[in-house]
Amino acid sequence: MSKTIENLYAPPLAGKSEPLRQPWHQSKLWRRLKPYLYLLPAVALLGIWMYRPLLYTFYLAFHKWSMVPGTAKVFVGFDNFSRLLQNKSFVEAIGNTVFYTVGLLPFSIVIPLILAVVTDKMNDRMKNFYRALFFIPMILAPVSVSAIWRWLFHPSNGVVNHLLLKLGLIEEQIAFFSDASWARWIILFITGWKMIGFSTIMFAAALTSINREYYEAASIDGASSFRQFLNVTVPLMSPMILFMLTMSILFSSQWTFAYIDILTTGGPYGSSTNIYYEMYRFAFSNLNVGVSSAAAMLFFLAFGVIALALNAVSRKFAFYDN
Amino acid sequence: MKRFVKGTVTLLSLSTVVWLSGCGAAANSSSASAELGTLDPANPTKITFYTYSLAYPTMKPGMEQLIKEFNDTVGKEKGVIVEGIADTTMQQYKADISAGKEVDVVQHTFSTLDSSRLSLGFQAYEDVFPQEELDEHLKGISPNALELGKIDGKMYGLAFTFSTPIVFINGKLFEEAGLDPENPPKTWDEIKEASLAIKEKTGKDGFGLAPNNGWITEGLILSNGGEVLAKDRSKVNFANEAGIEAISMWKDLYHNGASAAGTDTELSEQFMAGNLGMYVSSTSLHSGVKQASEAGGWKLYGAGLPQFGDKPSVPVNSGSVLAVRPDSPEKNAAVWEFIKFVTGDRGYTIITSQIGYLPLRTALADDPNGLKDFVEQNPLYKINLEQLSRIQPVAIWPGDNATEIFTVFYDAIVKAVSSDEDAATVLKQAEDEINGMIQ
Repeated sequence: MSKTIENLYAPPLAGKSEPLRQPWHQSKLWRRLKPYLYLLPAVALLGIWMYRPLLYTFYLAFHKWSMVPGTAKVFVGFDNFSRLLQNKSFVEAIGNTVFYTVGLLPFSIVIPLILAVVTDKMNDRMKNFYRALFFIPMILAPVSVSAIWRWLFHPSNGVVNHLLLKLGLIEEQIAFFSDASWARWIILFITGWKMIGFSTIMFAAALTSINREYYEAASIDGASSFRQFLNVTVPLMSPMILFMLTMSILFSSQWTFAYIDILTTGGPYGSSTNIYYEMYRFAFSNLNVGVSSAAAMLFFLAFGVIALALNAVSRKFAFYDN
Repeated sequence: MKRFVKGTVTLLSLSTVVWLSGCGAAANSSSASAELGTLDPANPTKITFYTYSLAYPTMKPGMEQLIKEFNDTVGKEKGVIVEGIADTTMQQYKADISAGKEVDVVQHTFSTLDSSRLSLGFQAYEDVFPQEELDEHLKGISPNALELGKIDGKMYGLAFTFSTPIVFINGKLFEEAGLDPENPPKTWDEIKEASLAIKEKTGKDGFGLAPNNGWITEGLILSNGGEVLAKDRSKVNFANEAGIEAISMWKDLYHNGASAAGTDTELSEQFMAGNLGMYVSSTSLHSGVKQASEAGGWKLYGAGLPQFGDKPSVPVNSGSVLAVRPDSPEKNAAVWEFIKFVTGDRGYTIITSQIGYLPLRTALADDPNGLKDFVEQNPLYKINLEQLSRIQPVAIWPGDNATEIFTVFYDAIVKAVSSDEDAATVLKQAEDEINGMIQ
């Protein structure tokens, strides 16, 4: 290649025509480089904000460090992992993570699917009105939402206890956030309530892309509306359903985080905590970033496997009408 | 649609797992020496003050006044500007220190002071302020109070806002139940009796001590002759007979209709709304509770921490110390000016009268220029000043595992009191777990 460049700048020999000069933007090197340059901004951003911290987390998982600038990181091998697995609250947090993940599915799939299908049949004005109504909780700030629900569920001043007492359903007020049998259900309920709107909008969007002729054909064949829902709507919406399933499973722990932090801080006695909240506590309350990173690493692997499995399920079951 | 969904699923799978990651920061640490630099009023030194009192509505105005008055007077004259930072969860200073921000003074709770000393670079007062300045300033603060923030003989925190437990009493509910608020219950048996009477006559809860209160619990155990953390801090011992008996008494109140259920925040709200007869908490809530009683049209009374039988009760202190981490002689000087002001006569006058904590300079209570009038108008303070003679320090949990240990203790108490499980078993398990961590 260096010869080519030299030739380019060599003085033309007498009696010979000047060699054809290639513009730089047509050179082979440039053509090879070009796609990577297009990718560079995205790769750089991902590298700096995703992969560097990820690798750093793996590194920290084997160290003991309080995150205070200037202090030394001490290599401790697999100590953080063994400490983590002996920690009772961590084991409980895993159970709760599964509880929240499974418990959110009705709120992210079943109820929104029904709401989307029901509102789809309404006229445009009503449809928009209802969908806006379902969507509003989604755009409210978690802190203010928590404050409102906290007041509603207040043991003595709250309207929920007041109504239950008036209706004679309970005899004693329930302290929802300090009763271990209630706390995580309330967290689940609030997270779910906030989720419904988002899923409903996604399903509604998917519904509009279904070709109406299928329904006409089905009704000519004598299919009832339930049958149409089951045999036409559900299969044609399968990509979106699987997409929402993936979202719900992978993000349920993150979505519950804010409510756990604000309403119960994981209590009473760790009964409403989840894995994300424990990781946060290890790092920022106990200032033990090593244990937190070890937990993150375990969950990187666990959620990685789940994500791949969901990908496979999606490939197998999603039906595309194109 | 197909490509969108497929692409998004793959992206999601990747991004979710990557999301689980942390990041860190690096900066240089610097050591400080016990000398005070020169301050320049024309070019003031800025210091940060992380305080949880700024984050609570009942304490905020008082704390704001304290900071503002310093900035307007001593700060302006000497060249120091204090920026108050509200630290709601008492986690912000940790996160900011980790992020390499300047965190100079922290209103720090007692229980995790040792942990912060080891991991967050807090300095001993003797190492950053000249001894003669310290000796001069600490005159007038009771020696007991000065002991509270000492670890291994060095002062890592100067007692700042400070209170003992008090039983706030709603006079109206007491009278409706045929009880005399001027003559409040003294023992736990009397508390139960009064609580059940209030519940029966008024339909409202008679008594509340939140299982998650975090510090009064220790006073209960000590009052019954138990021990929480051994003197040499080598083991915990709260699951001995006296400790179990104290917690079982509390459990009995909780499960037999004599105690309101709820978190500490919920109980304070319930009391302030006039729906709770007695509420055990810190005097720091005094100003808020007093306002609520005036707004609600009922009179506020008080009583000391109840005792078991004829054994005098042993309250522990709540509140905070000022922990410092200046990193240059100028910062030393600036921080020292601030500390002198807020723990001086004027500082404690504001802290007690505007926020509700106790004056650590107890002479102020008899000083006509200090708090004499205030204490006369607010007789509840006499209860707390009287309790100071029996006070014991709240446990400063040992070393590296302080936060984990505190969590185990705290969760065990909540579980022992509020769940149906056997209190002795729960406490014993927690004790073994903590001793395993310490040793």
